[in-house]
Amino acid sequence: MSRADINPAVGAMLKSASDWLLHEHSLFQTLDLKPLLIGRNKATFSVYLPNDFCDGDGAIHGSLLTIIMDSIFGLAAFTALDELKPIATINLRTDYVAEIAPGGRVICDSECIKLRGDVAHVAGKITDEASGELIATGSGAFMVGTRGPNRESRL
Amino acid sequence: MTDLTLINEFARSAPLAKWLGFSALEDGEGLIFNLAYAEHHIGNQLIRALHGGAIASFLEYSSQAALFAHFGGERKIVTVNADVDYLSSARAEDMKARVRFVRLGRRLAFVEATGWQRDETAPVATARFRFRLGGPEK
Repeated sequence: MSRADINPAVGAMLKSASDWLLHEHSLFQTLDLKPLLIGRNKATFSVYLPNDFCDGDGAIHGSLLTIIMDSIFGLAAFTALDELKPIATINLRTDYVAEIAPGGRVICDSECIKLRGDVAHVAGKITDEASGELIATGSGAFMVGTRGPNRESRL
Repeated sequence: MTDLTLINEFARSAPLAKWLGFSALEDGEGLIFNLAYAEHHIGNQLIRALHGGAIASFLEYSSQAALFAHFGGERKIVTVNADVDYLSSARAEDMKARVRFVRLGRRLAFVEATGWQRDETAPVATARFRFRLGGPEK
């Protein structure tokens, strides 16, 4: 895992955010996130698919893929910053291209393709870790420098 | 069977529905879906906001449940893609949603969902979904 290209201040924040996600956040503990690569503009994680997110047919519900992408894409946006700023998702688009069963792992690859002013554009995909099959693609926009916790708006 | 009975049937066997704390009720304007807040829905611990993915998941599941009820449980509903706009921070509390069918074709459904918390006129997220409809046609 390489953080060499990331601004040191942002890198320190990323490490603490990553540690918190992996060890203290109940959602991400369930998903057993394993970082494979965190570099400038890039974040790749291996993610477990638990039964908790199955639909009534026993397959993983597609919206878990959106949950994964929102989280990992946000980290990719952070790696593009030169100073520590809060971010928030503006919008996210997900295409579900294949079904996947629970109990296995997927790889979520994400890249911040452009930081334009205070908007970070991120794209990525999710593949089955065992077979390499493409499961979903996604793209999203993230607002950089959002307001603090006491404001009504995140934008 | 009523829409609510069908939706309860739709949600009963799905672990995701339990994770979301999903339920539905009806008012004079139609179905209202509910996400019962739980700690595992939090995305940002610092500002105690709901995770954007959890919101997206709730809106998608609500849309599927509405379609399931509309078709009397006879169609298989597969999401093709999803677009979610996050309009404001979502507090660590319950969320509600309404679903609107934009276009129901023979094989595809185009659906919009709107989520809010304290005030329906101040939504926190909107989403558009495209679903592939399988099984017998009505």
